[in-house]
Amino acid sequence: MMVPSFTLFERMYRFLSSRRKLLFSATLLVVALGVFASSKLKIQEDIVAMLPDDSSSVAQDFRLLQLAPFTRKLVITLKVGNGGDPGGLTAAADLLAQGLRAEGVGNVMTGPTNLSGALFGWLGASLPSLATEEDLVRLAAGSSPVEVRSRLRGNYEQLLLPEGWALKGSIQSDPLSFSSVALEKMRFLNMIPNMRLVQNHFVAADGKSALLVVDSVVSMTDSGGSRDLLDRINRAVAACVPAGMTATVVSGHRYTLVNADTIKRDLYVVLTLSVFAVLAIYLVFLRSLSAIFVFLVPSSILVIATGAIALWDANVFAVTLGFGGVLLGMVDEYAMLIYFSCRQGGKEPAVITGEVARPVIFGAVATLISFGVMLLSSLPGQRQLAVYSMTGIVAALLISLIVLPHLIKPMPAGKLPPNDRGGVRRLPRRAVIAVWLAVLALCSWQSTRIRFNGDLRAVSMVTPELRLAEEDLVKTWGDMRGKALLFAEGTDLEGALARNDLLFARISGRIPAGELVSLAPLMPSSALQRANRERWVSFWQNGRAARLEDDLAKEGEAYGFSKDAFAPFLKTLGTPPPEATLEGLRTAGMGELVDSLIIRSPGMVRVLTMVPDTPEVVAALTEEIKTLPGIRLVSQSRFGDSVGHAIIHDFTRYLALTSALVLALLVVVFRSPSRVMLALVPVVTGLVCMLGIMGMFGIEFNIFNIAATILIIGLCVDYGIFMVCRLTEGSDHTTNRAVLVSGLTTIAGLGALALARHPSMYSIGITVLLGIGTGIPAALLVIPALCSKERP
Amino acid sequence: MTRIMLLAVFFLFSAGLAAGEAVPPNGSAMIFSSLERTAATVRTISSDFVQEKHLSMFKTVLTSRGRFYFSKPDLLRWEVTAPVASGFVLKGEKGRRWHERTGRSENFQISQEPAMKLVSDQLFAWARADFQWLKKEYRITVLDESPVSLRLEPRSAATAGFLHHLLITFSADGRYVRSVELHEKDGDFTRIKFVNAAVNKPLQADLF
Repeated sequence: MMVPSFTLFERMYRFLSSRRKLLFSATLLVVALGVFASSKLKIQEDIVAMLPDDSSSVAQDFRLLQLAPFTRKLVITLKVGNGGDPGGLTAAADLLAQGLRAEGVGNVMTGPTNLSGALFGWLGASLPSLATEEDLVRLAAGSSPVEVRSRLRGNYEQLLLPEGWALKGSIQSDPLSFSSVALEKMRFLNMIPNMRLVQNHFVAADGKSALLVVDSVVSMTDSGGSRDLLDRINRAVAACVPAGMTATVVSGHRYTLVNADTIKRDLYVVLTLSVFAVLAIYLVFLRSLSAIFVFLVPSSILVIATGAIALWDANVFAVTLGFGGVLLGMVDEYAMLIYFSCRQGGKEPAVITGEVARPVIFGAVATLISFGVMLLSSLPGQRQLAVYSMTGIVAALLISLIVLPHLIKPMPAGKLPPNDRGGVRRLPRRAVIAVWLAVLALCSWQSTRIRFNGDLRAVSMVTPELRLAEEDLVKTWGDMRGKALLFAEGTDLEGALARNDLLFARISGRIPAGELVSLAPLMPSSALQRANRERWVSFWQNGRAARLEDDLAKEGEAYGFSKDAFAPFLKTLGTPPPEATLEGLRTAGMGELVDSLIIRSPGMVRVLTMVPDTPEVVAALTEEIKTLPGIRLVSQSRFGDSVGHAIIHDFTRYLALTSALVLALLVVVFRSPSRVMLALVPVVTGLVCMLGIMGMFGIEFNIFNIAATILIIGLCVDYGIFMVCRLTEGSDHTTNRAVLVSGLTTIAGLGALALARHPSMYSIGITVLLGIGTGIPAALLVIPALCSKERP
Repeated sequence: MTRIMLLAVFFLFSAGLAAGEAVPPNGSAMIFSSLERTAATVRTISSDFVQEKHLSMFKTVLTSRGRFYFSKPDLLRWEVTAPVASGFVLKGEKGRRWHERTGRSENFQISQEPAMKLVSDQLFAWARADFQWLKKEYRITVLDESPVSLRLEPRSAATAGFLHHLLITFSADGRYVRSVELHEKDGDFTRIKFVNAAVNKPLQADLF
């Protein structure tokens, strides 16, 4: 029977057989260039690889989440241990802050910049611009004759005590404590729930912990910078924290470092194990020195693909390189088929090459389709993985079909009998089909239990120590890092503040002050301040100010106050001071707060409001802000769901596209429904078993391993194509052996990935391992069993 | 502002104590050394005081009277008896304040009240002859050697914003402060005179 052949490769073999030196030199040159390019790459370990980088709402939400005040900062909890002296806490915090500054870690805060009298002065002076209608009602009650008498007596008595020396100025400018109305607005600026100020230091409610906030220029995604930063912090802690106290650092930098270290260790383990496992499989199954050339194909591919990806983008995601182990085991199937066919001999090598080229190319095209679809992904990690793998596959295809045939010599006659089944025994047909159907039925049933976990932390390495530190932070200070964020956006500050005013008016009634963080009560827009001042002036007209002046004079007389004692206060009633400004708020010591809540970018000003990140609040606010233009809600808890939905949406689209393209390819290749169905057996088996086993053992899908599902289609369909070609088109039994050995090497590569500690690598490894591990037996056993009537 | 209060308070309670200065004039070092030695011998102080406030916001001088008590290492009582009875006690890390008219009395943790924490820290640092803080916060000039009289000018701009200078006069034997004057920038000032002072006299425990 004539075996379909690709004569191009047959002719190419003949052409190059007299130019082998040139061929080998060119191949070595490409590999050398790959090595050189690989040396330029920089490994990137952060989660950015798997977050959309397009203009989708998920991508925008991720960027906005990075703007939360404590997301970008390091927080250090200085805690007094059992038997320690809480009295020395603030002094120890100062000492540590000094040590941290000496180490050059960045700006270190132990408390508000300067909450001195300047703040109270600013609050008093700003009251006319800040007072709402409700505030004026309270001022009316607070300026009644009875209240005036009571306040003046209190002022008189305070002036007799030591603190009176410090209060004279504020009593003159605010004898009725009107500023307390403005002071109450500060409740909306408490970003650390369990914090109180002790000697202008952030101290926990139990008085046993102090908080230091470090604003560093080191990016959280910079693993090298993070290592250096944390080393410096550790040095300061070792030198400055007294016995009986401990210091715990929580920041994204720690996560970056833990993940970077884990990934580096994983890369080393995965690539080393893959190489040794693949080599061991070759030695066992190939038992020939020329097997070294087969091994060199995937090895060269790793170098070429890595070099190509480094040329494409110097920042290579660690996950991409981690996939190298899989690629190593994956791309050798083409070389394996060439090897066994050439070793069997019996025909001219050029003819064998031409014959083998057909299933090899179709298999490669199917795999390329799977990876090619991933190029459409909005996740940079998936796109890079696609480029990496496609480069490797194309390189493997070309080296396998053009270079390798010149390196393999046929075995002496009789060494590989024609009826050899590649080490796979033919099992009873009905039994194989029955077991297969039973397994499919069981896995189909179990697959309904599979769950998707969109939480980014599920694919991030979190050590028990880090988890404990995070829990302790929340326990000590409240959930200061887990707030939902509302951004009031405008093209300028006034526009953003105006929207922030509307937002505050809408939500302040439903969220209590301690849980709602907003700048609106203390820094309304100019328009609202103007309206407040006009209301203030109007309020004190019609004799109200004059009556109050009379009451102050009359009641003050009894305590000896002079006529002009409260002149500064009375002046503000008729002529309110100018509007409150950000500069004024900064001068009053609230600069850090202002910079945390007002975020400027080119052409955009955002004013940040923070609310509890609970499903109830987020759901209610989502509805509420629908009628408020320019307000954007970003919730960390909802973000995980958004990422999950986006990825599931992408995945479904790509899965459908991949399936359609692979199906089209199979139709073109085989032109027979039954053969197409046969070729799909490994794919269907791999997918169903993977889903079923994951559901059975509670292994969740996450943003990494869900994409790996597409790879199963690409890989398993190769085996289907090879086997159907062998069984229906008269290829020899070397195919069995090639599928078995290349399948084993693929599993070795994936198995190594499944030994990784990092959740992202591990999850990819285990998922694809399940799919391929079940797809290969299906190819070797089920297709022949189903094919017995198909064979012509 | 709080520092004014603190300084004044601790001067009231300190007897026979003195501070050095960054660059003392000739003879100052000997005076400070002498006051320092004297301070080491003081265990308790009790005294009456009369406070006169010369403030433009009052038509007349505002006069009040009271008593203060100090006992090493960390007990202090400041008590106004007229015209309104009120005051506070500091005892280690704890404190208590009261007001006769309102009838209210409340305990507090000094560490949780920034003002009182500052009072406590500085007062007890003074009582323990910790002169480092004073030298850091004030420029000290010796105005007179017998009895010793000092002028303290705040170094920090924040304190200088409302306090121009302090005048402290010691008793002839240097064991207690005889008078304190706080001069403000606008010309107002407060004078406190200590009379009937007793040094190292046993104090009743229930005072604190």
